[in-house]
Amino acid sequence: MKQHNLRTVVSFEVRRTLGKKRFWFMTLMVPIAIGIVLALVVLGNIVADNNFDNQSESEFSFTYTDASSFIDPSVATALGGMVTTEPAKAIAAVRAGKQDAHFVYPADPTTTPTEVYGVDKGLFENGKYSDIATQVLIRSAQDQIGDPALARLAQGNVPISATTFTEGKEAAGLMGIIPPLIFLVIFFLMFFLLANQMLTSTMEEKENRVTEMILTTLNPTALITGKIISLFIVGFAQALVFLLPVLVGYVFFRSTLSLPNIDLSSFTFDPAQLIVGALLAVGGFALFTSTTVAIGAVTPTAKDAGNIFSGLAVLMFIPLYAAPLIISDPQGPVAQLFTYFPYSAPVTAMLRNALGSLTGWEAAIVVTELFLLSALVLRIAVRLFQTGSIQYNNRVSLKTIFARSKALKATQPETPSARLMVAQVIPGSAPRPFK
Amino acid sequence: MASSKEALVHIEHFKMEFAGVTVIEDLSFDVHRGETFGFLGSNGSGKTTTLRALLGIYKPNGGTLHIDGRAFTPQDGSRLGYLPEERGLYKKESVLTVMTYFGELKGLSKKVAADWSMNYLERVGLGDKGKTRVDKLSGGQQQKVQLGVTIMNDPELLILDEPTKGFDPVNRRLLMDIIEERKRAGSTVLMVTHQMEEVERLCDRIILLKDGRAEAYGTVPEVQNQFGGTMIKTHYSGEIPTSPHYEVTTRDRNYAELTLTDTADESDILRGLVNAGVLVRSFTPIKLSLDEIFVQVYGEQSQAVGA
Repeated sequence: MKQHNLRTVVSFEVRRTLGKKRFWFMTLMVPIAIGIVLALVVLGNIVADNNFDNQSESEFSFTYTDASSFIDPSVATALGGMVTTEPAKAIAAVRAGKQDAHFVYPADPTTTPTEVYGVDKGLFENGKYSDIATQVLIRSAQDQIGDPALARLAQGNVPISATTFTEGKEAAGLMGIIPPLIFLVIFFLMFFLLANQMLTSTMEEKENRVTEMILTTLNPTALITGKIISLFIVGFAQALVFLLPVLVGYVFFRSTLSLPNIDLSSFTFDPAQLIVGALLAVGGFALFTSTTVAIGAVTPTAKDAGNIFSGLAVLMFIPLYAAPLIISDPQGPVAQLFTYFPYSAPVTAMLRNALGSLTGWEAAIVVTELFLLSALVLRIAVRLFQTGSIQYNNRVSLKTIFARSKALKATQPETPSARLMVAQVIPGSAPRPFK
Repeated sequence: MASSKEALVHIEHFKMEFAGVTVIEDLSFDVHRGETFGFLGSNGSGKTTTLRALLGIYKPNGGTLHIDGRAFTPQDGSRLGYLPEERGLYKKESVLTVMTYFGELKGLSKKVAADWSMNYLERVGLGDKGKTRVDKLSGGQQQKVQLGVTIMNDPELLILDEPTKGFDPVNRRLLMDIIEERKRAGSTVLMVTHQMEEVERLCDRIILLKDGRAEAYGTVPEVQNQFGGTMIKTHYSGEIPTSPHYEVTTRDRNYAELTLTDTADESDILRGLVNAGVLVRSFTPIKLSLDEIFVQVYGEQSQAVGA
C-alpha cells in the first residue's frame, strides 16, 4: 500500500506539473530566450560577414604619412594607398569628401596610436579604414621579416601542447576539470529552476485546505517523499528541455555561431571523479529540496517562504565567492569549513572534486553527510508538515513544534502501532459515568 | 455483521492541551458499529480537536482513542470517509483528476475510481464537469465533489465535521440522503453538527461536549430526559395532589403544567392522578427539543462567542 501510494503521489505530482501551461511557459522561456539570442548572433554574424566581404571587395583610396619608416610603399600601393607629405591637405580633402581616407603612421606605432581619417560610411563600414590601416602595418612588418613562418611566430600565432604530471601520472588539465564541473552546473540549474516549485509543493495542501484529507489517507512521509521524487523527475525533464536547444545549436549551427569544435576525445573522464560529482549533486539536491520543502510546510505563504529561501540561496553562492581561496588552499580552514558545512558542502566539494583537490576520504565524508542529513531533514519536513500544514493561516515556529514533541515524549511513549498518535491505554479503567 | 453494540470508535479519558490550555479535560465515549452518532457542542468546545486526535492529526496529551480496537493510522484510510471542517480540493486540477487521485490513495484502482467518480458526478448533476477545473465550480458544486471524495471508498466509518456547513437546502437534502444511504449500507457515522433537525432525523445517539467534558451522552430521548426532564400539560377536573415526582408550575382554571422532578414514568404520574380522583381530560407529555437543550447548555457560551 505504501508503494502504491508513493507511486500514486509521484504520478499525480509529475503529471499535473508537466500538464501545466505555466510550467512549460517558465521552462521554455529560457531556451526560447537562448534561441532568440542565438538567432540574433547568427543574424549578426551573417550581416558582419557580408559587410566584411563587401569591405574586402570595395576598394578605396587613401593617402598616408609615415614617420616610422616601417611602411612598405609597395604594400600600401597594393591596398590603394599613396604616400603624401602634406597631411593637413590630405585631411582637408577627406573632410571635403574628395579623398576616401588618410592615415597618419606615428614614429612608434606600437606605443602611439595611428590616426585614421575617413569619410563616414556608417557604423559597420567605417571599420574598414582601421582594418586597412592595420593591414598595411602588418604586411609591411611581415615583408621586412621575410620568412612567413617567422612572421607568424612574431605574431605569437603558435599552437602549444602542454603536458603536466601529478604524482608521476599525466595530469588531465582543463579537459579533466570540465566533465565533473558539469554536475555543478546541473545542480545550480535544477535548484534555481525548481526552487519555487519546491517551496510551494507542500504549501499547496495547506492553501487548498487538503491537509486533513491527505493526512488521514496517506502517510505524510510517502507524500513528502513522493513530492521530492517528482521534483527530481520534473527537474530532469526541465534539464533536458534546456539542453535540447544547446545541442541543436551546437550540432546544426556550430560554424555559424563560431563555436569551437569540441573533440570529446580530448576530455578526460575520470570515473571516480564523475561518480563523486554525481553523488554530490544528487545528495546536495536532496538536502536542498527537503530543506525547501520543510520551509514550505511551516510558512503560510510563498512570500514568507521566499524570505527564508533567500538565506539558503546565499549559502549556495558563498563558496563561489570564496573559490580562489578554496582553489589555492584546499586544506585551509575556510575551504575545510565550506567543505563540511552541509549547506555549502555540495558546491565546495563539487568544485574541489573537479579541481582534483578533494581526497577520497573527504568525498566519502561529504557524500555520507549529505545523504544522512537529507534523510534527517526529510523526517523533520514530515514532522513540520504534520504540525505546520494544519495551521492554515499561521506560521509555525520550530520552538513550538519541538517544545511540543519534547512535552509529548515526557508524558506519552510512542507505540509502534500508532507512530503518529501518542495514545495510551489506561489499564482497568472503565468509561467514566456520564451525567 | 458484528454486534450493533460493539464499539467501532472508543475514546477513553482523552485529554488535550494547547500551549498549556486544556481544551479537552477528560472525555470518554463510544460509537457503536452501525449507528449514527451526533457529536454536539458549541464553537470551540473541542469537537474538531477530538476528531483530529482520533484520526492521528493531533497527538493527545492523554487517553485512548481507538478505531476498531487500535489507534488510527493513514493505512486505515481506505476504510474511512472523512469530511473535515476545513474543506478543500486541489483547485487547479480537474474534478475527475482530483477524485481519481483520492480514490487511488484510498486503495481503488485508477479505472474503478474514475468510473465511480463519473457515476457519482452524473448522480449529483455534475456529469459534464469531470474535466472542469475545481476552482471553476461554484462553492456548492465543490461541496458535492468533496462529499464524493469522502464516500467513494465505501467507508466503514464516516466522520463528518459539520457536513452541511455552507450547503444550500438542496445540497443539504442530498447530503442527508447520502448519509442515510451509508447508514443503510451498514456504515457507522460520526458527525459533528449544529443542525438539531439533522440530529433528530439521523442520530441514534449523541454526546454534548462542554468545557472539555461530556455534558450529556445517550440516545436523544435519554438526553432529553436528562435536561429538564419532561413537562406534562393536563386538562383536568378536581384537585391535583402534591407529589414528590412533580411540581405544578402553572395552574389556570382546569389547565396545569407539571414539571417532573425525577425520572418517574409519565404513566405512573397519570395513574397517580386518576387514583387521587382527578378526572383527567387530557394528558400531554412535552419534552425539551434538542434546540432548547442546546440553548440551555450553551446559552451563555454561545452568547460569549457571539459577542
